[in-house]
Amino acid sequence: MEKIFQDLEPYSVPSYSNWFSWSNIHEVERFSLREFFDGSSITRSPRIYKEYRDFIISKYREDPSRKLTFTEVRKSLVGDISILHKVFTFLEKWGLINFDVKSDKEADNCNGNCKPISMGGEEEEEGWKGRVKVEEGAPYGVRVVAAPNSMKPVASLPPPPSVRADGGRGVGEVGENGFKWPPLASYSDVFGYSVQQEKKNVLVCGSCKEKCDSVHYEYTKEGSFILCEKCFKSGNYENKLADDFKLINSGNQSDVWTEAETLLLLESVLKHGDDWDLVAQDVQTKSKLDCISKLMELPFGDLMFGSANRKSKFLDVTGDVSNFKQAQLDFNESQESAKVEDPSHGLKDEGQQNGYADSQGQPLKRVRTEPTSNTSSSLMNQVARISTAVGPHVTASAAEAAVTALCYENQCSREIFDDDDNFIDLKASAENIEQKRAAQGNLLDGDEGPKQSETQGPSFHKDTIQINLRMRAATATALGAAAAHAKCLADQEEREMEHLMATMIEAQLKKLKRKMKYFDDLELIMEKENAHIEELEESLVADRLNVLQSIFDAGISRWRDHASVKSQTGPTAQVAPRYFSFKAFLHAAMHSGSVHGLISIPNTHSTFLGVKINSQIIIAITTRNHFFTKMAAIERVFQG
Amino acid sequence: MKSHSAWGTSKSLVKFRIPTSDNLVPIRLDIEIDGQRFRDAFTWNPSDPDSEVVVFAKRTVKDLKLPPAFVTQIAQSIQTQLTEFRSYEGQDMYTGERVVPIKLDLRVNHTLIKDHFLWELNNFESDPEEFARNFCKDMGIEDPEVGPAIAIAIREQLYEIAVQSVTSAKESRISKKGRRAGEFFSASKTGGNAVDLVKLFGNKSSVIRKRKEWDVYEPIVDLLSNEEVDALEAKEERNIR
Repeated sequence: MEKIFQDLEPYSVPSYSNWFSWSNIHEVERFSLREFFDGSSITRSPRIYKEYRDFIISKYREDPSRKLTFTEVRKSLVGDISILHKVFTFLEKWGLINFDVKSDKEADNCNGNCKPISMGGEEEEEGWKGRVKVEEGAPYGVRVVAAPNSMKPVASLPPPPSVRADGGRGVGEVGENGFKWPPLASYSDVFGYSVQQEKKNVLVCGSCKEKCDSVHYEYTKEGSFILCEKCFKSGNYENKLADDFKLINSGNQSDVWTEAETLLLLESVLKHGDDWDLVAQDVQTKSKLDCISKLMELPFGDLMFGSANRKSKFLDVTGDVSNFKQAQLDFNESQESAKVEDPSHGLKDEGQQNGYADSQGQPLKRVRTEPTSNTSSSLMNQVARISTAVGPHVTASAAEAAVTALCYENQCSREIFDDDDNFIDLKASAENIEQKRAAQGNLLDGDEGPKQSETQGPSFHKDTIQINLRMRAATATALGAAAAHAKCLADQEEREMEHLMATMIEAQLKKLKRKMKYFDDLELIMEKENAHIEELEESLVADRLNVLQSIFDAGISRWRDHASVKSQTGPTAQVAPRYFSFKAFLHAAMHSGSVHGLISIPNTHSTFLGVKINSQIIIAITTRNHFFTKMAAIERVFQG
Repeated sequence: MKSHSAWGTSKSLVKFRIPTSDNLVPIRLDIEIDGQRFRDAFTWNPSDPDSEVVVFAKRTVKDLKLPPAFVTQIAQSIQTQLTEFRSYEGQDMYTGERVVPIKLDLRVNHTLIKDHFLWELNNFESDPEEFARNFCKDMGIEDPEVGPAIAIAIREQLYEIAVQSVTSAKESRISKKGRRAGEFFSASKTGGNAVDLVKLFGNKSSVIRKRKEWDVYEPIVDLLSNEEVDALEAKEERNIR
């Protein structure tokens, strides 16, 4: 007995599953498997769920050391197989079954030769630790690269988890066995092409636009025009003289500027001003042109440049320089608000920043581009062009400021940009800057200005690329916000319009209703008048009757024979015809001798009554109504 | 009561489609030219442009090094099956609550599979491929061709049942019984395929199967030896002829 009890161990259930109880259904279950609890189908009900659950757990606990497979349980349960699977994975996820079970080496249901599949297992700890899954290496789909520029991954990529060997142990992947996550976009994927491009950093020939190999010819007079060997030999000079070209072997000599060299350069420039030969002498290891370009790159470098010197060296500036400068000043303003990060040039005095801002426009003139007021090019083109024209540190600072401003407003953009900080190397390697400068110097042909600035974009220092693209992101965000705002406004307008429409319609309806009411009132009035008139008519008829009655009473005997009278009237007539003829009546009255003349005008109710009464002729014009009153008067006269 | 989004409400009419999360058509090819036999089965996405059919046929022939005569045949066969599917597409089918039994009985290379389980027809998020994956994983099947074969077999059966429900929807409309479509699609309306839900899931019965029925619903996976495979193939061919 004791032994049996000793062999019994409590079933282990992870702590986060301690809500489970045999007798109840917990909120977690209701939430995760809500199909059972919303009454949507007769096949699913809480009772059914409980039966499934209890069965599965009991089955597992029959032998807790072996991993229970879905296939084992589903044969014993009635129900849609997908929903059964859902319940099964739910229980497994919460550790109520198959908790702490090693990957099964001897699957029960597997016939003879089957072997278990265990892929990706080497990266997971044995036994399922529930929610926390420790993995070696970076998450799938993200490549860890050694340095910002290189594409070589540092750690070997873990194999993608195409099949999970253990019933979906990963919590996040429950119900998604075998689901392959889409690879996360990493910086190198998105920007890879530009990074790669930048790595090449080729020199583009000014005329044939091909890559120049190490040997190229540089135009001494302007120092920024390069011809490849082929073009030079073929005489494709672009309006320049062959003598002016200097052969340059672009080895490393002109690329790297050490701090000492830079210091020397600056000192000598301060000393010699524009005399580049002397400056080049001082900075022994660099050529004249290298000195010039290096100096331009430095943020305050062009302060050193005398304006007179500049003009003679500049190419023709087409386009709207003032516009350009204005745009630059905008940049500069934003730059001024941010500190210039310039750790490698700590020699510089930041107080020169203001002066720098003004002359910032000058080196830009070296680049001949289309005017920024050209609205045919997109905003991004313009941004790209502007950023290409500026020195790297300028754009760095400007972008920094813009990003800071953005981040204040919007938290998520901070997240976007935060990751990029690693890639901003403000200690720009001189090599890159130098090459960029040289590449930039190739932008001479105005017709291809925009195009080249586009192609040049990729060949830029990674700073500028980085910032360029970030600016795109920032601008896109701004545009998106503006678009959303515009949509809101549009919606509002629409609503207002609808509201106005509704008001109009309401007003119309009111009008119509009033009219109808008016007509109803009129109708009422008419009806009343009608009734009134009918009453009058009836009273008139009654009066007539009375009069006739009295008249007949007066001279009834003589009239009785009169056929027309009889037919028309008679004291026995109970109901007087409504419209009996006055004429006949009056005729009758005339016959009686008292009434002598009768003229009635047809279609009117006016009757000229001429009555000779005792030789008195009374002519009375009466209307129907008055006729009777007159008749009453006449009657009285007769009687009297 | 609001029903779960994945499950269609009873009595509802939806446009015809395969009742799974992706509307993929199972295509089966069995073409013989000059004594060469090409058999294949796969799923096709009916929203792909038809130009893809020919491209696919060409690539298949090229990959398998078949004689070029196969290209037109393959393309035609696929096109026919697609057209047939599309002919159903505009029509309605009922999606009442129906649970249908699905039987698997297939042989893929050396693996023989027999299985029997229930599938809910109006669950539009069901995924035969996921089921196949789990199946192969649980049963430890290594042959990678088995999973897709299982999924296609399930799809074919679902397709058939969906077609049946379209015709039954038409019939019931014609006979004007549509209004009285019962809350649960009883067997009579669906052609005897569906499972009687009231009997199974009603309050009186347990959803745990009786032990003696476990064998019926248990999957059987057999690995055959080469001779057995040959024997079976010969038998199949004879059956076809």
